[in-house]
Amino acid sequence: MESTAAAARAPGGSARWRLLALVPIVLLVGAVGLFATAGDSLLDLVGRNPPPADEFDIRRVSFDPGEIRIRVTNPQREELTIGTVTVDDAIVPFSLDGPRTLKRLRSTTIRVAYDWVEGDPISVGVTSSSGIQTTQAIAAAVETPGASGRSVLGYAAIGFLVGIVPISLGLLWLPSLRRADPRWLAAFMALTAGLLTFLGVEALSEAFSLQAGLPGGVGGAGLVLLGVAVSYLSLTFLSSHLARRSRDGSGALGGLALATLVAIGIGVHNLGEGLAIGSSFALGELTLGTFLIVGFMIHNITEGLGIAAPVAERGHSASLPALFGLVVLAGAPTIPGAWIGGFLANDVLGVLFFAAAAGAALEVVVEVTRFIIRRAPVPLSSGYVIGGFVSGIAIMYVTGLLAA
Amino acid sequence: MTKFSRRDVLLGAAPFAIAPLCKLALPGDAQLASARAPMTHRGHEHAVLGHAAMIGADVPAPGGPHELDRLLVPPPVLPHRPGRLREYDVVAVDRELEVASGVTFAAWTYNGTVPGPVIRATEDDRLRVKFTNGGSHPHTIHFHGIHPSNMDGVFEIVAPGQSFTYDFQARPYGLHLYHCHTTPLKKHIHKGLYGAFIVDPPKPRKPAQELVMVMNGYDTDGDGENNFYSVNGLAFYYAKYPIRVRRSETVRIYLANLTEFDLINSFHLHGEFFRYYPTGSTDQFEYTDTVMLCQGQRGIIEIDFHNAGQFMFHAHQSEFTELGWMGFFDVVD
Repeated sequence: MESTAAAARAPGGSARWRLLALVPIVLLVGAVGLFATAGDSLLDLVGRNPPPADEFDIRRVSFDPGEIRIRVTNPQREELTIGTVTVDDAIVPFSLDGPRTLKRLRSTTIRVAYDWVEGDPISVGVTSSSGIQTTQAIAAAVETPGASGRSVLGYAAIGFLVGIVPISLGLLWLPSLRRADPRWLAAFMALTAGLLTFLGVEALSEAFSLQAGLPGGVGGAGLVLLGVAVSYLSLTFLSSHLARRSRDGSGALGGLALATLVAIGIGVHNLGEGLAIGSSFALGELTLGTFLIVGFMIHNITEGLGIAAPVAERGHSASLPALFGLVVLAGAPTIPGAWIGGFLANDVLGVLFFAAAAGAALEVVVEVTRFIIRRAPVPLSSGYVIGGFVSGIAIMYVTGLLAA
Repeated sequence: MTKFSRRDVLLGAAPFAIAPLCKLALPGDAQLASARAPMTHRGHEHAVLGHAAMIGADVPAPGGPHELDRLLVPPPVLPHRPGRLREYDVVAVDRELEVASGVTFAAWTYNGTVPGPVIRATEDDRLRVKFTNGGSHPHTIHFHGIHPSNMDGVFEIVAPGQSFTYDFQARPYGLHLYHCHTTPLKKHIHKGLYGAFIVDPPKPRKPAQELVMVMNGYDTDGDGENNFYSVNGLAFYYAKYPIRVRRSETVRIYLANLTEFDLINSFHLHGEFFRYYPTGSTDQFEYTDTVMLCQGQRGIIEIDFHNAGQFMFHAHQSEFTELGWMGFFDVVD
C-alpha cells in the first residue's frame, strides 16, 4: 500500500524509489542466509524430521532382446542411492549409465541383462541404499520401438489417421450447415460448445490423474492450474487481438476467426491425445488395434463439425486453403503428440499438455457462448442451444466409448 | 506410513566396543572355513544370464572375504564334563548393517552381527550368559532348551543400560536357538536379535567340518514382507565367497530358521544327498536333499560329498533364492 502511495507521490517513479523496492528482496536474502546457518537448531525445537521417503521415480521401462532398461529419477531433496535392482522380485546384476547416487531430480538408466518373456506381465524394482523398494508393474513386456525412421513414420501415420482425416471429413458438413436455418446453426454452435466442454473436462481429469502419479517434488494441482491458466489466457489474448481486427463491432468473434480459435482449442487437445496414444503404446499399456483407431476417428469427426459451424454463418466465407489451414491447426498436433509420447514419455509434459488442452477448450467454450449470446437469433436458454449443448456432450460420450 | 518406523534407531550406537566384550572362543584355525573365495568368476565380456552370473566376484553381495567366519564356524566342541562353567557375554547393540549389496538395514544385534554369536556348550555344562542391553529398546534373551522359568527371558525385561545373567544347565543336546522375547515380538525378532545355540551330546559326534547356517530375512521397507533373505546375515554372501570343503571329510551343518514374516524356509543341496537330524537331539535321521523348517525349527545336516566341484545350496523357495538365500560349496579333493 505504501509503495503505491509513494509511486503516486512521484509520478513516473524515480530511480530512488525503484531501488527502494529491492529492499524487501535484499532483506529476504539476509534472513534466508541467517536461517540457513542457524536453521537446524531452530527446527530442533519442534522435533526431528522424519527420514526421507527414499522412493525412486521410475520414469520409463524399456525392453530390448535380452535387456531391460529402467530410467529412474530422484524426486526428493535428499540424495538417493541405488542399492539393489529386482526384476519380478529377484535380485539381478545391473550396470548404470550414470552415477549410482542421484542428486535431486537427476536421472540414470539401469541396464539389466534379462531374458524376459514376450507378452508376460513383469515388474521391476529399485531398492534404495536405505532399503526402500520402489516397484513398477508393466502389464505386458513387449520390445520397445526405438526412434527409427519406421516408427517415426508409424506414429505420424497414426496421428494422421486419428487427427487429420476425421477433422477433414467433419468439415465436409460445411455446405449443409450453410443452408441450415440460423436457429439450427445456433444449435450446432451450442453442440460445438458441448463437445469442447466434454473435451475440456476429460483433459482436466486426465491432467489431475497424471499429476497424482508424479513424485511429490514435481507434481501438484498447481502444475495443472499453470497449464490451464497459460493456455486459457493465451487464447483470451489471441481472441481479443483477433476481435480488434474484425470489422463488425459486436465484440464477439465469428466466422473464420472463431473457427480458428476452435481449431486451436481442438489442436491443443489433440496434441494431448496423440501423447496419450503414443506413450500408452510405447509403455505396453495399449493395444493399438484397428478398432481403437476407428474409435478415435469416429470420436474426432465431431471435432470437424465443431470447426465447420462458425464458418457456416451467413455472410462469412472461407477459402479452401483457409479450411485446409483449420484442418492442420486442429488435426496435425496429434502427430508431434504421438512422437513425444512414443519416444519421450514424460509425465510432467503430459500433465502440462492435458492442462493446456483443458484451458484451451474452456476458453473456446466461452468464445462460442459469447457468439451465441450476441449474434445468434435464439437466446441462450432456447431449446436449440440447450439441446445442441447437451447433444454435443452426449455425442462425445457415446463415440468415446468406441475408443475406450 | 510404516516406512518411517524403520529408522527409529540410534545411528551412532557404539557398535565398535563389542569385539572385546565377546569372550567367544574363536576357532583357532579357520581352515575349514573356506571363505577364501576360489576365483570362479569367468571373465565374460558380454552380459551373463542365469546362475553363471551369480557366482564369484561379480555377485552383488556385501562384505569382504572371511567376514562371516565367526558365524559360519562354531566354537570348538569340548568333552563332556558335567558342571563345567561356560561363560558368554552378549551385548545388544543398535547398528546399521549392509545386509545386501548397497542396502543398509537399521538392525538390532547381539554383539554387532545378525545373526548373533554362536553359543556352544556340552550337555550338563553350566551355562552363564551375561546379557547387557546397549540398545535403545528393552530386550531379553530367550533360549530354547530345558531351563527354569526365571531363566526363560520372557518376564525379566532388560531395560537399556541394564544387565541380566542367564544361568542354567545346558540340555538337552541338539541344535537350539536363542532370540529376544520382548514385545512387539515380530519387531524384536526381525530386527535381528537371534542366533544359534549348540549343545553337544555327552558322547561326542564323529569329527566333521562343522558349519553353522542361520536362515533369515530382512524387511527393509517396513511393509511386513522380506526384501532380502540370507544365511548368516548377508544376501548372496556364499555365492560371492563359496564355502570350501574337503570331499574326504563329513560336512556337518547346524541349520536353524529364524526367518520372520514367511511361514517357512528351506534348505536344498544340489548334486548330493544328506542325513538330516531334526533338532539334532536323537539319532534318527532322514536321507534327503531338501528340508523344510518353520520359524524356530532347526536340525543338523551331515553331508558326505561323492563328487568334487561346485554345488549350489539354497532355499527351495525360488523367491528366497533370488533375493539372496543361495550359495555354493566348493568341494575339493
